[in-house]
Formats: sequence, C-alpha cells, structure tokens
Amino acid sequence: MTPEMIAQVLISGVLSGALYAMVALGLALIYGVMRVINIAHGPLLMLGAYTTYFLYSRAGMNPFLTVPVAMAVLFVVGLLLQRTLVFRVVDAPELSSLLLTFGISIALVNLAQLAFTSDLRAVEFITGAWVVGGLALSKPRFIAFLFAAAVTTLAFLFLKSTRLGKAIRATSQSREVALVCGINVARIHLLTFGLASALAAGGGALLAVIVAIQPEMGGVWTFKSFLVIVLGGAGNYPGALFGGLLLGLVEQLASLFLTTQLSEVVAYLLLVVVLIVRPTGLLGGRST
Amino acid sequence: MTRKTLGLWALAGAMALLCVPADAQGPIRIGASLSLTGTYAKLGKNQHEGYQLCIKDLNAKGGVLGRKLEFVVYDDQSTPATAVRLYEKLITEDKVDGVMGPYSSPVSEAAANVTEKYKKIMVAPLAATTSIFRKGRKYIFMVISPAEGYLEGVVDMAAKRGLKTVAVVNEDTLFSKAAAAGAVELAKKKGMQVVFSEAYPKGNTDFSALLTKIKAANPDVVVAGTYFDDAVALTRQMKELNVNPKMYGVTVGGDLPEFYDTLKQNAEYIYGATQWEPTLPYPGNQEFFETYKKDFGHEPSYHSAAGYAGCLIYGEAVKRANSLDADKVREQLLKLETKTIFGDYKVDQDGFQLAHKMVTFQWQGEKKVTVWPDELAQAKPRYPTPPWTQR
Amino acid sequence: MTLTRGPVLAVLALAVVALCVYPAFGTGYGVRSTLQIFMWIALAGSWNLISGLTGYVSFGHVAFFGIGAYAGAILITAAGWSWPIAALGGGVAACVLALVIGYPCLRLKGPYFAISMLGLNEVLRALVSYFEGLTGGGNGLSLPTLDATRSIYYVMGALAVAVTAVTYLIITSRFGLRLMTIREDEIAAEAMGIDTFRHKLVAFLISALGPGIAGALTARDQGYIEPISVFPLAITVTMIVMVLFGGKGTVWGPVLGAIALFVIQEIVWARYPYVHPLLFGAIIVAVVLAMPRGVLGLLQLKYRLPRTI
Repeated sequence: MTPEMIAQVLISGVLSGALYAMVALGLALIYGVMRVINIAHGPLLMLGAYTTYFLYSRAGMNPFLTVPVAMAVLFVVGLLLQRTLVFRVVDAPELSSLLLTFGISIALVNLAQLAFTSDLRAVEFITGAWVVGGLALSKPRFIAFLFAAAVTTLAFLFLKSTRLGKAIRATSQSREVALVCGINVARIHLLTFGLASALAAGGGALLAVIVAIQPEMGGVWTFKSFLVIVLGGAGNYPGALFGGLLLGLVEQLASLFLTTQLSEVVAYLLLVVVLIVRPTGLLGGRST
Repeated sequence: MTRKTLGLWALAGAMALLCVPADAQGPIRIGASLSLTGTYAKLGKNQHEGYQLCIKDLNAKGGVLGRKLEFVVYDDQSTPATAVRLYEKLITEDKVDGVMGPYSSPVSEAAANVTEKYKKIMVAPLAATTSIFRKGRKYIFMVISPAEGYLEGVVDMAAKRGLKTVAVVNEDTLFSKAAAAGAVELAKKKGMQVVFSEAYPKGNTDFSALLTKIKAANPDVVVAGTYFDDAVALTRQMKELNVNPKMYGVTVGGDLPEFYDTLKQNAEYIYGATQWEPTLPYPGNQEFFETYKKDFGHEPSYHSAAGYAGCLIYGEAVKRANSLDADKVREQLLKLETKTIFGDYKVDQDGFQLAHKMVTFQWQGEKKVTVWPDELAQAKPRYPTPPWTQR
Repeated sequence: MTLTRGPVLAVLALAVVALCVYPAFGTGYGVRSTLQIFMWIALAGSWNLISGLTGYVSFGHVAFFGIGAYAGAILITAAGWSWPIAALGGGVAACVLALVIGYPCLRLKGPYFAISMLGLNEVLRALVSYFEGLTGGGNGLSLPTLDATRSIYYVMGALAVAVTAVTYLIITSRFGLRLMTIREDEIAAEAMGIDTFRHKLVAFLISALGPGIAGALTARDQGYIEPISVFPLAITVTMIVMVLFGGKGTVWGPVLGAIALFVIQEIVWARYPYVHPLLFGAIIVAVVLAMPRGVLGLLQLKYRLPRTI
C-alpha cells in the first residue's frame, strides 16, 4: 500500500462523490419539501441515462451536451408524476408515499425493459485519463465531476438567491407558515419534484458516459442517495454535498483496504452507525 | 373465499386424475424451461432459437422414430426456483416425452434435481459448471466445455512465452468463479505465480480500487472471469489507470460484437474465449449460420449453436436407441462420439463433456481471430499487448 | 351479512382436510405450486406482523428468508442436521438477524427504518458472497439430493397455518392493540406509556421467524441455493403486494392476497411474462391510492365485518 495508491483512490472517491451529491440533492429536496420518500429516484436517473444514450446514438449529439436536455425531459416527467400520483400521498402517512413511489419505481423499470430491452447499452465517447503528478484522472469521470459540480452549485444558488428557491426552502421549513405567507404550496411541490427528477436525470446522463446502461441501474442509486442524505442530515441541503463526498471516499477506501465486495457492507454499516449515533445526520439536520 | 379455493383445488385434482398419457403415435413432445425474461433473457432467447431450428431441421428430415417433433417451452424468468416448478409441470402435467436443458448453470443445477427424480434424460447444453455433473447423477449430459476451461488458452499461451505472473479477477457468480478458479489452477500448474486475486460483486461498475491494486502488483498477465458490462468497465478503467499487462483476457462478453462496438479501438489486443465461432471448420457450420440468420434475422451466438447441437445430439441418441426410454437413450448418449456444428461430443460416465474444445481468440483489426489452440488457429496472436499510451 | 362461527369453522375444517389429502392425487406440479402458496401465506403474513400492524415498512424482509435458507442449508450440509430441525435453525438465525438489525434500527422513526431496511438484502448478499468458505459464495450451495416435497408440503402448510394463527392471536390481544396504536400515532403511544421500542422489536422478531423457516424449507426443497436467488428484491415486492392487496393489518388479508396474487401471477405471467413487474407496480399504486386497506379492508367497511378478521 503506497501513498500513490491511496491518493489515486481518493481522487476516484471525490469524482464519484460529486455525482452522489447531485443525485442525492434531488432526493433531499423531495423529502424536505414534501416529506415524501421517493423510492423511484433511481429509475428517474435511469431514464436520464437512456435519454442521453438515444440522443447520442440516434442523433449523434455530444453526450455531455445532452445533459441539459435529459434534465429538461425528466423535469417534465417529474411534474407529471407529481401532478397525477404523488400529490395524493403528500399528506398521507409516510407508509403510503413509500409504497406508492415503490410501486412507481417497479413500474418504471419494467416499462424501460419493455421499451429499451434489457440489452446493455454503452456510450463510447471519451476514454482514457489525464496524468497529473503520476496519478490518473479519468477523463469521463472528471468531466462528469465538473458538470455535477456546476449543476449542484447552480442548484444551491437557485435555492439561496432566487425567489422560487427561497419559497422552496420556506416550504420545507414549515408548510403552514409558507401557506400563510402566500406561497402557492401546491406549485412548489410540483416544482420541487420536477427539479429533483431533473437532478437525478442529470446524474444519469453523466453516468451514461461512464458505465453501461440498463433498466435496473437505478436501484442502487436510490439506496446510495438515501445513504447520502442520512450522512448529511435530512433537510440539510448542503449536507447532501458533504454526504456525497463522504460516501464516495468511504467506498473507495474500503475497496482498497478490504475488497470491492466488502465496500458495500461498509457503506451500509456506516448508514446504520450514523442512524444510531446521530440520526439527524453528521452535519445536523431535521429529525423527523 | 375459502369455499371457492376448495372448489378450485378439487377441480384441479379431478383434472389431474383425468389426465391421460399422451397418444403414443402422435408427435414427440420435447419440453424445456428457458430464460425468456429476466437476467439471462437475451442469451436464453438465442438458445430457444437454436432449439427451434433443430426441431425444424429434424422434422424436415422426417422427424425421429418416424414421428414429428413438437416443442413445448415455458419461461423460467432466469430463476432456478421457477424452473424447478416448470420442469415438474412439463413432466407431471404436460407429460412430455423428453426435456432439454435450460439456460445457465444455476438453473440447470436446480432443474437437474427434478429430472433425476423422474428419471428423464436432460441434455443440458448451456450448463458449464463441473460440479453439476459430479454428483452421481445419471440422466444429465453436458455439451459445452466446462467453465474452468475458458481462460485456458490465455494461460497456456502465456506460459509458453515464459511469462511469470498473473492477476485473476472475477465476478462473484457461479460461472465466473469457476472460470477464475480454473485459470488459477492452470497457472499454478504451469509454474506461474498468481500475484493478485479478487472477486467483485455482480453489477459493480467502479474498478478503480481493484485496478490500483493490480497495477501495484504489476502482473504480466491479467485474466478476468466476466460478463459483458464488467468486461467493458474493466477495460475502460484499465486504460484510465494505465494498467498494462502483456496479455489481457476476459470470458463471456468479450466475444459479443457489442464488445467491439462499445470499446472500439480499446478492444484491440484483448483475448476472449468462446465455445464456438461461425468460422470454425465443423460439419454443417456454415449452413447452420446462414439458415439461422435467415430465420431469425440476426447472427447466432454460441448459445444458439449449443442449443441446436444439444437437441440434435438428443435426437441422434433416441434414434440409435430406437426408443424414448430413458435408460436406453442414456446408454446411447454415454457411448456416442460425434461431431456437430458445435464441435466434438464425447462424455464420461457422469455425462461430463470430454471432447469439446474451447477456442481462444484475439481482437485484431476489428475482427475476432482464433489464436488458440494451434490446430484451429487462424493466425498468430499479436504479442505483447502494447501499453495504452502507445496505441 | 353476518359471519357466524359454525359455518366458518366448518368450511375451514373442510379446506384443511382437502389440502391434507391433496398430495395423494395431485400432480408433482400441483403439489409444488400449493407448497408455494403456503410459503407466500407464511411470508406475507409475517410481513404483515411488522409492517401492517406497526406501520414500520420492512423493505428488506427477504433478508430473513435468505438467511433462513442459508442457515438451513449449511446446517444440513455441514452439520448433518435433518431438515426439519435445520428449518427451525433457519428460523432462529432469522430471529438473531432481526435482533441485530432491529436493535439499532427500530429506535428510528418510520421512514428511517424503511431506508435502513432497503439495502439490507443487498448487504446480506454481499456478506454471504464474502464468507464463501461457509456459504459457497457465488457458487451457491448444493444440498444432497432428497425428494421430500410431500413432507415439506405439510410442514409449509403448518407454517402458513401457524403464522395466520399467531396473527389472529396478536390482533385480538392487547399487545396487538398497542402495536396498532404505535402505527396510528407513535408519539401518543409513547405518551400513554407504551414502550414502543420493545413492542416494535418483539413484533419484528416474530415477523422474522416465519420467513426464516420458510427459507430453510425452500432451500431443502430446491436442493440448490445461490445468493441472487434467495435475496432478490422481487420476493419482498411480492410479499408487499400480497399484503396490500389483501388488506394489511388484518388476519386473513395476507392469506387472501397470497392466494389471489399467486393465481393472478400464474395466469398473467404465463401469458404476459414481459409485463409482470409492471402489473405488480400498477397494483401497488392502485391499491395505495384507491383501496389502502386492501380488499378485506373494503369488505370490512362495507359489510361491517369484525376488526379481527
């Protein structure tokens, strides 16, 4: 075990961490604003990946340029899902929203299997790495990192500085007060779900260049997004960033020092430990 | 509700009682449960098509024992538990005359318990795991080469060139583990040193830590027991991390045309193994390839060929036994030595395949070129694999 | 419509007798399928005990099934136990797992518990693969050939009956009432002095026993298990759909759901194999939105059936 090896792996961790953060932010928004646990988050990511794939293979678009397109498409899909199904369980007990989004997720995956078949797709666009100080910086992952960082930053700016963003944050702090303040809460819910779906899709679009695409690819991302939120603190949006990076780093280090198989277990143990020791998240957030 | 259920079951029971055995002079019905949906769907479909083509060809030649053949197929969703029930169904309710094997080793293993119980012959053309055939079963027969042999070509060629160190990685599933284990054993036998060996979970996409460790071990050869997506990811990340073994081989997935389509140049120099190639000089191979392509609209994979050959072999044994009786057919299958479009067939007392040879190929200039064994090689391997930065 | 005891018990007795006699004249396939239904009744009924009664959704319940399968298989192959005892061993292993997981995770509120259970089956799959010396890892575990399907049929049937009976006992007891209080309003329950954590834990342990035993029995019946086939999400999904459809929090809901969904599955999947998960997803969505209390819940409302049905 040399410092180079550790450094190499840390780089990988940071690169993947940004993607985790971006996708998890979407999930955090949905939970924070609507108290809905969106199990269908992973499938939304998957749909973003397929959007990129088809734009790339049918229309020859530069896959990185498809990211905003995928985000826009899934924004609309998110709006539709919220408008037709999810809005009905926003006030219901959490069990209902869990089960509903669970049902939606299975349906979405199967629809994808029917529409796209389970054949693995891959986007061959850019491979290789830049060598920086003896360490390899994977080209596709680094570019994905830059995009993810940019999108996440934009999302935060939106939340912090724009009126709509502030309205979203107000609603997630207290729905009743937001209503009293004249915020159209129903519209905020719509917007949030759309925005979150867009973030997930963006993650999927970026992933499309890195990994093989198939209908079941989203499942593990749902779980990891939850992990990130728990680490960072529910309702704590910057916490998602921290949680994402932490998860990326922990995974890589566990793969290095133990084995790749055990890194899954380590991530899960981390979840359980954090839930026990500091259920409000490592950075502190809202407790349910 | 309970009454209704009771009634349904009574009805089912009555129907079971009324089930009469199939008319002895009608068509011969062969049944199978295949992976038409689920994880193995794509390859299961190819196998299905192989079976279908075989039945068609046999019927064109007048059928077997003077009767036409009919094929009954169910979808086991790529799960062993479902396959078990379906084989029970085929044998006890549909009362088929014979069965053919399902797709993949795990499913074949589970199904074999059923066929042994009812003493039905099962030629299992897509079962590659040795352990299935070493449990004292009498009615199961292997067609393809065992998983342990997949990486034999690469290891053999490496040893002949005096290479000393090898790293072995594999997906942690039945087949890939067997392939890796076979590679490790062979490498050790040939005096090579296994400097790194690790399994990764199915569905893993990030190999950076794994490859970082491999790079540090600096092996001459890297062999991987893979399927498709991991083979692609592994290759890409090897390029990123600049891992440069002199020889790099994968298993399943490396032989698919999509492998090259996805990796393009980066697939060059990679070794893969396959049970069968359309270009191999086996009897009837060319014809099979053309007919299959015409009938199904795409090229056959080795799964198609194995299915086709397995069914032919079963038909041949029935012909020679002049009966569908399991023990008589079994006798013939044990004695039979033949060469089909798929290659050689000969089994030992356990039904384990002895004669069939895997071939190792290398991607050279956008094509798969057979490089091992020498008798079947089309060209010499391009050795050594140049470092990524020099390509 | 009122249900009087006499006729109901008579019908039940008749059903039990019929099912006992069935293997004598049913086909191998029929027996196996009925065995599967028993298994689903046991699984769904057990899931109902934790998720239906306390409202704590267990998304990883298949983990108990899988661990029961592995424990049972290992006890049979490595320790040479007979399969009925090994099945109990599987149940015990599942309870131990429930304790280990439940102890930290049940202290959390509902959503966090659900999340923690979400990844459980994957983690167990990884662990099983890792300890391959014991479990055979990705190779799977092969049991010595034994045709015990008939006996397993009876044992599984007994299990299904037991789970249903236990559910009835719990629902009609004060313990069950307290569980349901937790479901309705946990903070109020605590304010009333109910030790919510202990109650949830007990329910969780009981809910793990059934799947554990069922897993071990299934392993014996199949003769071969591998990580992906005993820890798939699909089993949890099916459990959930069955209970939701039949009516969560009721005694007969899971039974009804198990039988109905199994029959639907056989018919649909035989004809439309490719849309099977889609249908299940649609059913879940429909049930959650339109009949959150399941078929039995609807009937309870309409015909004023007792709560303890």
